[in-house]
Amino acid sequence: MAVPKLEQLSKSVVQGPSLATGAIPTMDWMEYPAVFKPGNYAYPAKAEKVAYLDSQSGLHFPNSREWSPEDEDWKLPADWKEIIIKGLKERLDKFRSLKIFMDCCVRCGACADKCHFFLGTGDPKNMPVMRAELLRSIYRNDFTLAGKIFGKMAGAREVTVGVLKEWFMYSYQCTECRRCSVFCPYGIDTAEVTMMLRELLHLVGVGINWILEPVSNSNRTGNHMGLQPHTFKDNVEFLVDDVESLTGVRPNISFNRKGAEVLFITPSADVFAEPGLYTAMGYLALFEAIGLDYTWSTYASEGGNFGLFTNNEAMKKLNAKMYAEAKRLGVKYIIGGECGHMWRVVHQYMDTMNGPADFLEKPVSPITGTVFENAASTKMVHISEFTADLIKHGKLKFDKSRNSHVKATYHDSCNTARAMGLMDEPRYILDHVVDWVEMPENTIREQTFCCGSGTGLNTDEIMELRMRSGLPRANAVKYVHDKHDVNMLACVCAIDRATLTSLMNYWNPGVGVCGVTELVANALVIEGENRAELDDGFRTML
Amino acid sequence: MDLAEGFRNHGEKIVDKWVEYTLSTYTSSGFFVKERDIFANPVGGNIRQALGQLFVKLSKGADAGEFTAPLEQIISIRSVQQFTPAQAIAPLNAVKHITREVFAADKERKHLVAELYDFDFAVDLAMLAAFDIYMQFRERLYQVRINEIKSGSHILTDSKCPSKLLTDKKVLK
Repeated sequence: MAVPKLEQLSKSVVQGPSLATGAIPTMDWMEYPAVFKPGNYAYPAKAEKVAYLDSQSGLHFPNSREWSPEDEDWKLPADWKEIIIKGLKERLDKFRSLKIFMDCCVRCGACADKCHFFLGTGDPKNMPVMRAELLRSIYRNDFTLAGKIFGKMAGAREVTVGVLKEWFMYSYQCTECRRCSVFCPYGIDTAEVTMMLRELLHLVGVGINWILEPVSNSNRTGNHMGLQPHTFKDNVEFLVDDVESLTGVRPNISFNRKGAEVLFITPSADVFAEPGLYTAMGYLALFEAIGLDYTWSTYASEGGNFGLFTNNEAMKKLNAKMYAEAKRLGVKYIIGGECGHMWRVVHQYMDTMNGPADFLEKPVSPITGTVFENAASTKMVHISEFTADLIKHGKLKFDKSRNSHVKATYHDSCNTARAMGLMDEPRYILDHVVDWVEMPENTIREQTFCCGSGTGLNTDEIMELRMRSGLPRANAVKYVHDKHDVNMLACVCAIDRATLTSLMNYWNPGVGVCGVTELVANALVIEGENRAELDDGFRTML
Repeated sequence: MDLAEGFRNHGEKIVDKWVEYTLSTYTSSGFFVKERDIFANPVGGNIRQALGQLFVKLSKGADAGEFTAPLEQIISIRSVQQFTPAQAIAPLNAVKHITREVFAADKERKHLVAELYDFDFAVDLAMLAAFDIYMQFRERLYQVRINEIKSGSHILTDSKCPSKLLTDKKVLK
């Protein structure tokens, strides 16, 4: 190969204006269009799903149609511009937070380099401040005096089809993980800006299938998968069989049982897909070990709430379903499984959106008598809070050596860490059941990096994008994998369990992914057990 | 002044320029160059670490097999970013030019430019290995996608679950 001259090398491999070509971009950021090509966008929602959702009570998903992001013409309704501006006005009036977030950013840049999408792509429009600016520029243009008078000089611009395409591109390159908001001196929740962008896009029939089909399934059968009651029941029963063959103890279960003390709700992925299955087996073993009086529901058969990723009406309706079922069954309170965004909805939105669950009782552990004051309003206790309390009171017996095949690290799932402050309980549990180490400080707890595929971006057609956005998380796992031989990434979120598996398979082969409760069950000594040597814990094939 | 001493003296400068050039292929190169914490800046941090290691191996005439680890560190990242294969790998070649430029600017080491044949050859070998590694990571990416589809999470939207049939018949509409 010839010796390269840098300029020639740059010209031959770099397309378009870039620092590498010596041509410093001269265009303003507003002038760069969003370009859609296979791999950089998630498939649009099927028209019949959107139409179905729009026909349902309490939901609003108008303008269903077949369209493609790659097409020039998105077949928007004729009055799309009025719909967007009217939609924005309604939201500015309804959500005081949005109005503040639009006004108070001083563009200090503290958030700019905190986003995993920015860190993985280097795309400036993935800086949270810029992503918000995509909406703010329209807000200035139509709702502020300065914007109306000075236009572009004041950072304002008119909403165009190009702007809408940009919104679609970047509101689906944000997982609403809220890492940026931790660093914002004004506490701007950029995730809520993304939520507003997505809401506005839904008004003109622009959404993605990986989100809207699960929402439609949840609305119809109660869970993302669209499982009907008998299928859901069968799946849980299969897991009961598995627990029995591994431990010699057959968990007692019930479905839709009126008068049970506790209703247990977890993401449906836990009863259906690996590696969540092992976490679900863990719940069954744990509840059997302590003799909990609880029931599953085949209607509230989903903890996940993809409604959060669409609009506030869908979020409200899917959240209400869990509580309607708790009321119908007459339980005292709910224990929630290892889910991520369910907890964000419960902790941050439910009280004002659906109202407190006054018809349930303040949760009290029947085993330890602990009153869960933190759940006094929502009446929903996290499985890790519940388990940590059991351990604290010496109610569980462990043989840690049963997890000797595991060297774990702990991934703080974004929603449980940043939206409900659940950081110490899972760590306390891990201390008792497994040998584990922390990842570097600026990648854990409230500074945790997202799996890169949350908010309904866990679809395979954007796998490259997911690998880019998951790089900061994977990079920290690689460090403990290399340094401490970590072979298991524990977490408390079903989306994490699915997506981190793919992320590890790409970046760190040899590192598995599991739920915390799986590790609990691996080490748990159950009275009356007849357990073989399980070299691989609950994953052992007998 | 022999070549080995020249590499020792100017190695850091060459690597700095090489890193800067490589990171200039990203739109937000400023941050990627500046932030030195590898966990706060995984792209910049990994590329800096790997190019530093690669340069030592290239300049010492190490066996081509030893290029693999640092190359994987760089190419695993660039093969999932929006680069063509050529764009992903091209910055590796820049070290030839940068080394010449740095030596040429030093009066006492100008003559070393004529002695870079072996170094150039090592860079060529690294470039060829980089293409293989690029393909390995692309194939791994496709495999990850296939695994995910097979694992059942696609059932979320495209399953043959009995309840799916109901939607097809529009029973529940």
